[in-house]
Parts: sequence; C-alpha cells; structure tokens
Amino acid sequence: MTKQVKRAAAVALAAAMALSQNVITFAEEAADKITITFAFDEGVGTPTEEAIEAFNASQDEIFVQSYHLPQDANNLHDDFVNKLISEDTSIDVMALDVVYIAEFASAGWIEALDGLYTEEELGAYLDGTVEGAKFDGTLYAAPWFTNASALFYRTDVLEELGVTEVPTTFQGWKDLYDQLPEDSGIDYAFCFQGSQSEAMVCNWVEFLASFGASVLNEEGAPACNSEEAIAATQMMADLIGTYAPEGTTTYAETEAQQVFQEGKALTCRTWSGTWNTFNNPEESDVSGKVGMTVLPVNAEGDTAHSCLGGLDLAINTYISDEQKEAAKTFVKWLSSEEEEKAFCLSSSQPPTVKAVYSDADVLEAIPFYTDFYSIIESGKGRPASPDYSILSDAIQRNVHAALTGESSVEDALNALQEEAEALQ
Amino acid sequence: MPKEVPRQVYLPRYFYKDDRIRCGAMKKKKLQSQKKEVRTAWIMMAPALIVLGLMQGYPIVRTFWLSFHEMNLKRPQSGFPLVGLANYAKVFTDSRAGVNILFTLKFTVVTVLLELLIGFIAALIMNRAFKGRGIVRAAILVPWAIPTSVSAMMWKFIYNDQYGMFNDILYRLGIIKEYKAWLSTSSGSFMALVITDVWKTAPYMALLILAGLQMIDDGLYESAKLDGANVIQRFTKITLPVARQSLLVALLFRTMDAFRVFDLINVMTGGANGTESIAMYSYKQLMTFLDFGYGSALAIMIFLLVFIIGLIYMFFLRNDLAAD
Repeated sequence: MTKQVKRAAAVALAAAMALSQNVITFAEEAADKITITFAFDEGVGTPTEEAIEAFNASQDEIFVQSYHLPQDANNLHDDFVNKLISEDTSIDVMALDVVYIAEFASAGWIEALDGLYTEEELGAYLDGTVEGAKFDGTLYAAPWFTNASALFYRTDVLEELGVTEVPTTFQGWKDLYDQLPEDSGIDYAFCFQGSQSEAMVCNWVEFLASFGASVLNEEGAPACNSEEAIAATQMMADLIGTYAPEGTTTYAETEAQQVFQEGKALTCRTWSGTWNTFNNPEESDVSGKVGMTVLPVNAEGDTAHSCLGGLDLAINTYISDEQKEAAKTFVKWLSSEEEEKAFCLSSSQPPTVKAVYSDADVLEAIPFYTDFYSIIESGKGRPASPDYSILSDAIQRNVHAALTGESSVEDALNALQEEAEALQ
Repeated sequence: MPKEVPRQVYLPRYFYKDDRIRCGAMKKKKLQSQKKEVRTAWIMMAPALIVLGLMQGYPIVRTFWLSFHEMNLKRPQSGFPLVGLANYAKVFTDSRAGVNILFTLKFTVVTVLLELLIGFIAALIMNRAFKGRGIVRAAILVPWAIPTSVSAMMWKFIYNDQYGMFNDILYRLGIIKEYKAWLSTSSGSFMALVITDVWKTAPYMALLILAGLQMIDDGLYESAKLDGANVIQRFTKITLPVARQSLLVALLFRTMDAFRVFDLINVMTGGANGTESIAMYSYKQLMTFLDFGYGSALAIMIFLLVFIIGLIYMFFLRNDLAAD
C-alpha cells in the first residue's frame, strides 16, 4: 500500500515538473512578444481558439493566450468582478455580455475605446450593437457577435394543415393550434422562458414590444405599469397553463427547448443559435421539420422586436499602456469584417458586421440569415444602465410573481414601477 | 452494574474522570520536560495558526470593516466613505431582508426537525446487527457525498412538469390526476426544497447520531430488561441520555448549515416563489448589485444570527462540555 502511494506520488511529482518545464519553455517562446490574455466563455470555446490561433500566426509582435470560463453569464460576470475589484491584471481582453457594459464602464473597470474606430468603420456594424457598447455616449467595447431570439415552428404541421402563410400574430398561432386534431401529439402552441431569470426578462421585454410598450419610455423614465405593459403581461400570464406548459414559470432555455425538441409544442421562442440543436437528429425528434420566423405580435401589422444579446470585447483598464495597445490591435482584428465572417462560419453566432449577412459563403452555410437579418435589425437591447442588474432583479421578481399568479398583474407591475423609479 | 467493564464500551464520562485525576497529579509536579513540550507544541502549531488567522481572520475583519462603509463599486466617485451603522439600519427597514430571514428560519426549523427524525430512525436501524450492515452504512451516505449543486440540478429535473420522475411516481400511484409543475408555486417549491435538503443531509445526521449510539453498551439494555424496563423506558432512560451529546452536536451543525443555505435554492428555484434565503440576498447585494457595504452588513447579520443559534445550543451542551 505504502509502496503504491509512494509510486503515485513520484508520478505526480514528475508530471508536475514536466508541466512546469512546459510553462517555462512556453514563456520563453513568447518572451519577445507582448503576451495578452483573452477571457471568454466555453460556449464559444472552440471557434474562439481557432480565431486566436489565426491571430497568433499572423502576428510577430503580439501573442494571445486564452482563458476559458464556464458558459454562464452570471458566473462570467462574477469572475470578472472579482478580478477587477482587486485591480487584477491577469486578463487583458474580456468577452463581456452586452448588458454589463454600462456597469463596468461606470465602475471604471474597462478602457474607453474612442478613436479605435472611425465613424465610417462604426457604420459597418449593426446600429443596435454599437449603441449597446456605448456608455454616456462613449464607446467602451467592440461589438463581437450578437444574438437575437426568433420563433421556431413545426413546418410539417403547417404543411399538414395546408397553411402556406406563416402566422404573425399570437392569435394566428392560437387559431392554428386549435385546428390541430386530438392525436397530433402537440400539447402546446407556445413554449418560452418564464423562470425567475434573465431569460424571462428577455421574454417579457419582447411581449411588451409586441404590444408597443417598453420598460423605459422615450425620456428614459420607467414605464413598467403602462396600460400596454399590463395588457402584454396579462397575456403572457394567461398563455401559461393554457397555450403554454404550466411549468413555463420554471423554464429557462434548456427546459423550454426540450419541450419543442420532443415534438410537444407547435412553436418555441428561443435564441437563433439553437437552430443547429433543433436540426440535429441526435438531440431532437423534430430535426428537418423546423422553421424560423419573427416573433409574433399582438395586432396584425405591428413590428416584432427581438431581444438582443451577444458579447462585446472590452479591455481591462488596469493593464499597462503597452498591453492596452496590443489588446486594441487584437480587438480590432477580431471585430474586422473578415474575422467576423470566419467566426460566424465556425460558430454560427450572428455577426455584428452588416455585410456578413449578405455574404454568399455565409448564406450558403446558414440559409436562414436572409430572413434573420430583418429580425436582428429590428432587435432591441435591454435598458442600458449601470444599475441594470438591480432593474433586472426587480423585473425578475415582480413579473415572475405575476406569471405564477402570486400577485395580480397590475399589483406586480405597480410594485415594479415603484422599484424602478427608486433607481432613477 | 457489572463489576468490570471493558473500557472501550464504557460511558465516556468516566473515562475522562480517570484522565482528569491523572492530569491533576501531573500538574502539581510541573515537570520541566513538560513545560518544554508545551513550548514545542506552540512552535509547531504556529504555522497552522498563522495560516488560519490569515485565511479566516482577515476576511472576517475585512467584512466588518466594509459593513461600516458606503461602498457601491459602481459609484467609485463616492470615495467609499465611513457611514457607521447606516448599513445595519437599512437591514431593519429592508422588507426583503426581513422576508428572507423569516423564510430561512422556517426552512431551517422544518428541515432540521425532519432530518433529526429521519436521521435518528436511520441511525437506530443501522445500529442493529444485520446482514449487509456495512453496505447499508456506506450506501446511506451517498446523497451526502454528492455536491449540493449537482444534486439540486438532479432534483430540479425530478420535479420537471413534463418528464419528471416525481410526477411519474405520483401519477402511477394515482395520487395526482395530471403532471404538475411543482416548482411553479410557493408551497410546491417549499416542499420540493425541503424534500431535497432532507434527502441530502439526513444521512449526515444519521451518521453523527450513530456514533453516539455505538457508545452504549449492550449490557445496559440487557440489565434494564432484566429489571423489567419496557422498550420506551429503555429508549428514554438509556438511549436518549447517552446519545444526547452527539445528537446536540449534530443538531448544532445542521442548524448552522441550514441557516446559511445557498446553493440548493440558487440552483432549484433561483429564489423564486418566495424561496430566497438571506444568504442568497447577501450574495446578490455583493456580487450582482456590487453593493459591498450593504452586502457585508447582511453577511455580518447572518454571522450574528448563526452565532446566536450556536450560543443557544452551547447553553444546552454546557453540562456535557463541563464534564469533559
């Protein structure tokens, strides 16, 4: 027994020594270059590694190393916060969720990027993504890729019913669902995300938009309990348990997608990137029978607004000027049109450069981008504010209470309005 | 009482008395070599004590310090001034903190009582000699050995309204007519959380109580039986008094743990349906809202409440401790 332990210890020691040697040679190789560290989440791990490799191959002054984090926006946020509070310089470039730009900028943790792009260069990006990367009118991050929600639906069901025109309103989808025969196997018309989470906030913002309401009015003041907002929230709550699963108030993306993948729902509202999952026969029972369209609206003729997500590239403000210059070079390279195209092809994440959507290679690989461009163009960001996390928490608690019926929609939204006003 | 009892199965109290007498005699002598030994012991313990002091002392002191400051990281321009007890005053006017503390207390009382009951029964069963006892003892610990967030994920799946096992079992037994979304209501969420927590930590309770039960000599039961004591008398006069100490220690650990509950609820409901614990709220203020002043004050409040719980138990344990 002790012999074995000793042997194991010896092996471990040898491994540790080999590892440290590797680190040393690795450091020597990069010694004559400026090394910068890029932190991103595992969700885009492989395509990002490929991009970094391509950058390193093209460079003889800068060397980029990667720092992987788990795929969870909250987790990422907390990790970055921990580092930046202590003015840590171990990471130089961060892939930061768009909703946190204002918070990090107001805390003085990320470098302003004014001057990195000319006005003309910025014009090549989707307007919504550039707006989202600004705080107080100054650009603090580079839009890397975006994300918008869409409505996935069962093309085979529409065909069977002989429907050629895809419905655009909630009522239209409900009518289709009502026409389905008893044994269709489809239990629900809609599935979306209603658990107390950021996912629900996105869903709610979209319901508001389809009724012409929004969280903040044009003057930037909260308008959470407007008549339209109450109507929208009421409909969202009414759908749950009738046209959508009763468990919707416990669903985040995975759970809602599961219902659709099992063929139990006519439509599913989720992020566009799920296209690949839905059409993968190994994971989904409905592969090959999935279509994608704009989110439904309340009244015919209204425009649907998807909630925009995605990641921006931000630079740590505590690193040296030399590091900052190198980081800027890398950020600009990664957000260039060519790289956006390459990244889009390898990750199927929607790019932020407009031209990529009409690129022939991209359209061949991802045909739905033809329709998707209009979705993303009319997409809306969530309210940009350094206090976004507090507002989001208030929305999550109050709207969730309305959805579960714990409180009436009107009471919940009045409470939310009060909390939102207190933030002003 | 039997004349000569083997030491290893005798009651611990007498054990210690023996030792005390011996120690007392030695104290009087105060041997030079012993003094030296004490010094060496301190020197050898010093590195560990210093590390502990830094690792545990610093964060506690720092949290105290932060709790007296206004420190919202999103507003560095405030200069993070000293605000005295303002953060603590806010705890008492913040209704969300109050609701969370009440929920946490309710959760603690219900789970700890159920764990005590189930743990005690499990310990009594495991204490009996039967075939495969070793395997049962090991198997019962499995839930406790799984990381909390992993078992929380697992249970969240079990309560799912579409394909959850919980629904399936109840449906087959004819208890429910259709699948329910257990985590979508207040009562359902509370029940689900309690079941999960009890499933996870009752084995821990059982193990600690079992250790206490094993100190009881079978001879005691036999002689009690001969004297005509019935099952209940044997339980209340022998089992309970002897197992009391380990029971209280188990309760103390579990109560303090249950009051700080975080990961289980965070994964299963995210604090929805009125299931936000005070530890979750403190974390939210700190890491999500970046309000380190108020978040630290909440953390200190948790510390004080847990400390009070500890003191209450210590009060009940004091006689047992004094005997040592």
